Amino acid sequence: MIAVILVSTIALAFTVSIHHRITEKEYIGITPIKKDSAASVAAFKQVYKVLMSPRCLNCHPKGDIPLQGDNNVVHSMQPKRGKDGKGIYAMKCANCHQAENSPGLHTPPGNPEWHLPPADMKMVFEGKTAHELAKQLVNPELNGHKDLQKLIAHADDGLVKAGWNPGKGRTVPPLTHAQFKKAWITWLQTGAYAPAK
Amino acid sequence: MTKNNNIDTTRRNFLKLTGLGGAALCLGFYFPAEGAPILVRPSELSESEIELCPWIIINPSGKITIVNHRAEMGQGSYHSVPQIVAEELEVDMNDINVIFAIGNEKKYGGQVTGGSSTIRSSYKNLLKLSAASRELLIAAAAAKWNVPVVDCYAASGHVIHKPSGKKAHYGELALAASKLPVPKEPKLKKISEYKLIRKPLKRIDTPFKTNGALIFGLDKRIPGMLFASVERDPRYFGKVKSFDATAALKVPGVKKVFKVEMAYYEYIREGVAVVADSTWAALEGRKALKVEWDSSGFKHWSTPEIFKAQDDLLHSQEGMILKTQGIPNEILAQSTKKLDVVYQTPYQSHVAMEPINCIAHFKGDSIEIWGPIQAPGWIQDDISKQFKIDKEKVIVNMTFLGGGFGRKAMIDYPSEAVGVSKIIGGPVQVVWTREDDATLGPFRPGISYRCEGMITNGKIEALKFRMAGQNNDHWRGGAKDKPNRSTSEGFLNPYYASIKHLSIADVLFETTIPTSFWRSVYASTNGFAYESFIDEMAHEAGKDPLDFRREHLQEERCQKVIDKMEEVSGWKNRAKNEGYGVAITECFNSTVGHIVKVSKNPQGGVKIDKVWAVMDCGWYVNPDIIHAQVEGSIVMGLGAATTHQITFKDNVVEQHNFYDYPLPRINEIPMIEVYIIDNEADAGGVGEPGLPPLAPALTNAIFDLTGKRIRKLPFSLATV
Amino acid sequence: MIQLTVNGKTEKLDVSPEMPLLWAIRDTIGLTGTKFGCGVAQCGACVVHLDGEAVRSCVTKMSRAEGKNVVTIEGLSENNDHPAQKAWQEIDVPQCGYCHSGQIMSAAVLLRENPNPSDQDIDNAMAGNICRCGTYPRIRKAIHLASEMQEKSKT
Repeated sequence: MIAVILVSTIALAFTVSIHHRITEKEYIGITPIKKDSAASVAAFKQVYKVLMSPRCLNCHPKGDIPLQGDNNVVHSMQPKRGKDGKGIYAMKCANCHQAENSPGLHTPPGNPEWHLPPADMKMVFEGKTAHELAKQLVNPELNGHKDLQKLIAHADDGLVKAGWNPGKGRTVPPLTHAQFKKAWITWLQTGAYAPAK
Repeated sequence: MTKNNNIDTTRRNFLKLTGLGGAALCLGFYFPAEGAPILVRPSELSESEIELCPWIIINPSGKITIVNHRAEMGQGSYHSVPQIVAEELEVDMNDINVIFAIGNEKKYGGQVTGGSSTIRSSYKNLLKLSAASRELLIAAAAAKWNVPVVDCYAASGHVIHKPSGKKAHYGELALAASKLPVPKEPKLKKISEYKLIRKPLKRIDTPFKTNGALIFGLDKRIPGMLFASVERDPRYFGKVKSFDATAALKVPGVKKVFKVEMAYYEYIREGVAVVADSTWAALEGRKALKVEWDSSGFKHWSTPEIFKAQDDLLHSQEGMILKTQGIPNEILAQSTKKLDVVYQTPYQSHVAMEPINCIAHFKGDSIEIWGPIQAPGWIQDDISKQFKIDKEKVIVNMTFLGGGFGRKAMIDYPSEAVGVSKIIGGPVQVVWTREDDATLGPFRPGISYRCEGMITNGKIEALKFRMAGQNNDHWRGGAKDKPNRSTSEGFLNPYYASIKHLSIADVLFETTIPTSFWRSVYASTNGFAYESFIDEMAHEAGKDPLDFRREHLQEERCQKVIDKMEEVSGWKNRAKNEGYGVAITECFNSTVGHIVKVSKNPQGGVKIDKVWAVMDCGWYVNPDIIHAQVEGSIVMGLGAATTHQITFKDNVVEQHNFYDYPLPRINEIPMIEVYIIDNEADAGGVGEPGLPPLAPALTNAIFDLTGKRIRKLPFSLATV
Repeated sequence: MIQLTVNGKTEKLDVSPEMPLLWAIRDTIGLTGTKFGCGVAQCGACVVHLDGEAVRSCVTKMSRAEGKNVVTIEGLSENNDHPAQKAWQEIDVPQCGYCHSGQIMSAAVLLRENPNPSDQDIDNAMAGNICRCGTYPRIRKAIHLASEMQEKSKT
């Protein structure tokens, strides 16, 4: 019963957070179904491995150019993020990245939603420690205004899942999608604790 | 490796291409009326048109057609040849029609478009032929009107009788003109009288390149034509052990799958062709094809092994002498302070934007070929022998080329297309994928240079160069026991006069990797070695690199290039945080100097701020085309120096396409300024000589900025 | 049958939905101005406008183009007079010319979305188009000129 109330409170908190800054303590404190800092941190370590894998990291770059390849090099021809994250002018993501992976090696991978985070919500993964990334992920001002529900749902986002269908010759993240989803939800539901480092 | 028994290349003088193009100077000065051998008329022409000379065809309506006897691959022959003809013929560029000649060297002289030779090998004849044609037309008009020739003149495709103002267009006069005796010494204009030549006229082919109308080889269509894609041995000379076409034949549109051979000069390369009714079906069929290769019986090379072998040779052998004067060995042996270093340049692919392709139609007693072709005459020779058809019956049509850079002067891809056509009994277009084009060679050979030298009293006392790299001519039967001129193209020439003791030698080095001409050929790598080493000598002598060159390059041409570079680049006034580098090279009878300015890149490494280029190519046609060629040469040279290379593992290329053979892009190009020295000396080449100085000027600039000497290409600007 | 509009004309093509638009345009419809350069969306020689966007037709399947509006270089303007085409002619940009169908189609999108592009905007828009002849300095110059021409034609 308490948990249910808590969740709804969180949901409210996340919703209003667009306008009202929430302290770290508040949102970490109010998310859990069952608070368990050890389990949460352990789960995030798994999550972090996935988020830092090329399939996730490459589209969450520090700069305004995506990375590519298993070695995270700057995308050749240097396409720019653009305001909506979908590229600019003759260099929009979807000009090359189709709704599905193109056949063959070294061809553009695809997804109907292919894009970077938008310019006003860059959600940078590149260069982030586990601690920094965990904090960023639950901060609605930095996570695309996502509340707990939306964060949980994000594990099944089409573009997130595309990481496990990366096209020929690209490595998949170190966990299966099911393992990732489990770790992701566990992390969130046990308090979304950030690892110390 | 299978020898091609049909082709005897040993008798041929392949130096024509890379040498001075002197052979082409024997180009015929003849007219049909004198019984010149007009073997085949270009198919576009009707019988009523008068071929006044091989380059000038006049329709009775007055329409003038000018024939371009060379390939157009971006370098501008399609415009420059007519610009020369139109000047002396007195026609307006806007009123002419230009067509490509078919391959016919008896008629047009040499047609191999290489060695930057089109203008320099033919302009004198073109001027004379055109002026003679003009005089014939004037004479015909004078006869028609029964007036003195001196009272008539030509302008804008008409002959005008000055006293009366009577006027006739060339079409009305051509038939009569073609029957008159040809003036042997027509009056040529002085340079100061030119209205077209030396003017930056807009290229006549440009409008067709902005609306998709221009037909490149890959765009050519022949009725009933099928399409083919060929799987070839990635190690070049393996044999087809077996292939499974089951899946390929199930691809909709695929008609036939069979083994095919491709003559590569003295050798045979094997492949399996998938023939289909569309390009895509052929490509899909090929993806489904399984081929097993027997690539045994020849050595498989890897890149580290190649350069190690070259290095060993350079430290154990003297090689074959290409040039020697004085006693460099003795002088260097006595020296305690000599420099002794090795420079290294990589293998490169041409990757013209239009991938290799060719249409062939084997018709039993004749063969017709259409494609992006640089060397129609060579193709006629080889196809004629290979398929036992008279040379005159091998008709080679040149389309526009989407870039060539030397690759499309090969005879391999037409040979293969003819083979496919012979088997299917109809016309076929063989399309190479980008991966085929980039990885199957022939390549620019990777070369190592050992450079030794010493300074006495601030000047070069002795220089000794040895190079070890594959010799392109060996693939075509060139003698291996003596040096040939192609490897020494542009090697140190302008320094000969000032250096008492010098030698240049070529140490024999061979692999099983096919190599060939790549824009500016050996000059593209020779320049890097010697102009970098000259810079090292300047540093050793404690001299400013530009002044050092001024002391050693005594030709007036070089002095003018140096003066101009100094004037435009601000060399003397450079700031402390700017690196300046210079290089001057000479090849294909043109002298080019580059100055490159670099600075530290805040994001790491070095960035190129600007390149100044000064070209002296003697007599020239179109300054804007020269500017364009030098700009393009700088970009191509920059790529070869800093962004791409071909490497091998067990004879297989490790790169595939532009993602791992990255060409420079628009965001990576420095500002470029080009200057032409006004000179009336014999014409030199334009398409290639602008490339060699870029790499050494750049690395010399980096040395100036950072003190770091780069002796191996390519290198990354980001991590210097 | 796949139906699409190419340069204002309705085309019904009996081709596989898997077929790249490039080959349908070149081999089936017979418009050869759109070029094959790399086949893997690296070089931009195959750029056409698909509902106005500069897509690479070598990796765009017919299934995506179905029902859409395609413009190729042949259909960019009636008389070879789009500002980019005019500027390309004025500056004499092309050397071999092979890549310029794609270059111009890319530039046209840039000029539509940013009528007064800076050098940086040009880099951002055009770095996807490779030119082996190295006409880049002239492409830059021509886009600036096209921008001026476009501006003038409005007034």
